Amino acid sequence: MRVFWLQRLTCCGNTHSFLNYESLHTLFKRFEFLYHPSLSLKAQEETVEELIKSGEGIDILIVEGAVRTDEVETRELCKIAKYVIAVGNCAVYGNIPALADETVCGLSYRFKERRGLLDKDFKSRGGMPVINLSGCPAHPEWIVGTMLMLAEGMEPELDQWGRPKVFYSSLTHWGCTRNEYFEWKVEAEELGSKRGCLFYHFGCRGPLSYSSCNTILWNEVSSKTRAGTPCFGCTEYDFPRLGLWETKQYAGIPAELPIGVSKRGYIMLSGIAKMFAPERLKGEG
Amino acid sequence: MKVENLELPRVEGEARLELFWKDRLIEDARIRINSMRGIERVLVGRHYMDALVITPRVCGICGHAHLIASVRAIEDALGIKPTEKARLVRNITQSLEVLQNHVKWFYLFMMPDFILLEERLRGLYEPFRGERWHIAINMASKIAKGIALFSGQWPHSSYAIPGGITSEPFVKELTSLRQILLELKHFFLSYVVGMEEAEFVKCLKEGSWQKLNGDAGLFLELCHREGLLTLGSSYDRLISGGGLYAPCGYFMKRVVHGRLKVDQIEELNAPSYSGTKPVRYRGMPFETGPLARQLMSGNLMVKSMHKEFKDSFAVRVLARILEVWSIVEVIELWIERLKEVLQEKSTSLGRFPSKATGIGYGIVEAARGTLIHRLSVRNGTIQDYAIITPSQWNLGPRCENFLGVAEKAMVGLKSKLHAQMVLRSFDLCSVCTTH
Repeated sequence: MRVFWLQRLTCCGNTHSFLNYESLHTLFKRFEFLYHPSLSLKAQEETVEELIKSGEGIDILIVEGAVRTDEVETRELCKIAKYVIAVGNCAVYGNIPALADETVCGLSYRFKERRGLLDKDFKSRGGMPVINLSGCPAHPEWIVGTMLMLAEGMEPELDQWGRPKVFYSSLTHWGCTRNEYFEWKVEAEELGSKRGCLFYHFGCRGPLSYSSCNTILWNEVSSKTRAGTPCFGCTEYDFPRLGLWETKQYAGIPAELPIGVSKRGYIMLSGIAKMFAPERLKGEG
Repeated sequence: MKVENLELPRVEGEARLELFWKDRLIEDARIRINSMRGIERVLVGRHYMDALVITPRVCGICGHAHLIASVRAIEDALGIKPTEKARLVRNITQSLEVLQNHVKWFYLFMMPDFILLEERLRGLYEPFRGERWHIAINMASKIAKGIALFSGQWPHSSYAIPGGITSEPFVKELTSLRQILLELKHFFLSYVVGMEEAEFVKCLKEGSWQKLNGDAGLFLELCHREGLLTLGSSYDRLISGGGLYAPCGYFMKRVVHGRLKVDQIEELNAPSYSGTKPVRYRGMPFETGPLARQLMSGNLMVKSMHKEFKDSFAVRVLARILEVWSIVEVIELWIERLKEVLQEKSTSLGRFPSKATGIGYGIVEAARGTLIHRLSVRNGTIQDYAIITPSQWNLGPRCENFLGVAEKAMVGLKSKLHAQMVLRSFDLCSVCTTH
């Protein structure tokens, strides 16, 4: 398949995340990269000119970075691509560049509003809407996995934000090594430890964000929560929220509860859990 | 006068190069980088801890350096010191980031240019296909794994906090890191310099850069043939904020060690063609990065080459390649020290003060050179945040009195390919330039 990688307003973080993929050698045999701004010998203008002259299309257009609402060329490239993948939160929701500038957005969204560069009912040549791979950055397995599904002719099923369900249907919380602490409501009182749950004091968005960060590990070895850093919810439209390291609370209850959990249920269960929490989870251990 | 406007492939982010020709020589060169993302503005009004999440997003390849600069600026403002364990771990992960950068830069960004001069090099360095290209990218991702062992992920970790780090590394992380460093040494000796360790160390001590084999040797041979050993010089004024393995100081006709005076660092207004503000030290442009660091630390191989060719294209490139070895050596020292303090706490604070007031600086040697963060906090809220990146020093535009460092290095060249190569020798990062 022929791949064209486009960068707009970006830190290039998704490119460097992608370059961490374990087996690029075999990947580049299967996918012909017509262009990648950080890697190709030729410049973009020359490549696009050749592409249009040849009349041959693009199989996968990958867009990294936020865009401006009036970008003609990006829109044109989306039209000639069989599939369009928006990689990273900038390309999906606008992210940090959109916070600083009203005229900046993602391909389909501007934060949670459907006010992106492309029309609401945009479908690429292959008949699919933009495939959104949110995350700041997106994980290499999410990027390559999506490419491989398309190459196999198995179009991914998407969630309400246009993200492949296979990578975004479970919470970051899944597979977190701190889950037992969460279950028994043993909260981390301090940062800098392998122990304790970060949800109650340190703003962890693990139970509130969809990602597979703790089931498909980062750099094959770890994740934010495993390294004692709270999840900042970087796969969601509201990243980066204000006060990233703090959990807002009302009367001792987190202002936002884990997705699908009622306030009453949370209060009852946490009371019981705290009462019966095993000793081995408490203290320094 | 002929004016040429080039789009630059293989840079971090977008950049254009305008060349002004006269009598087949480049008379003037302008670097145009115009894609502001407004990160400093986004930070104002937020809690200072948010900076630890947002500033790494300035750059996908040196985001960790921004994280460390942020945490140091916060610690400076709040009067907090990290534990020794945390300090060492941060040094290690930040250095690893520099290493993966250098490996990628040399093999993915620099060497492919030579294919345009020598078709036979395709087998080695061609993007997506070349043998060395693939070995290098694989090595770089293993180094990134070394960072993630401590920081959770790379790119874009936020594991450094005022007083320390969030993770609790132990023996397992150290032994895994040791393996990665061994692999990197093997990579460096077999491919980059093509020598046994003892032989390379001997050459280093003698300063005999002419003896280098491997890809560095091939690079020097190609430079010799193309006349690039002497081309691409700028002001031969170099500056280092101190960090990694190198002390702070500057080079101006001779090496002067000593702390930089931050009040002598000045950001000037951008000229109309550029979205970037020029940076000056004592009113003068300085080049920052590996060449500056190697001269500050007295690397004999770089010194002898610099003595002969000054700050030319080839010297700038070689300094960056050889820095891989200098950094591996210092990481090994840090690992030894870390073993002794592994039982220490990861942070001296545990919880961060929610209301704090102060002004602080964070100075870091990133892959491309001296990176400076300055923040001012009142009652926990950021009032002002300013970032000066290495790329601003090197690629920033002209001021009233001086051309920018990279601009100056391109004046007098005879080919546009040479101009692009010289520009790339600064390890062009436009995303950092236009945060």
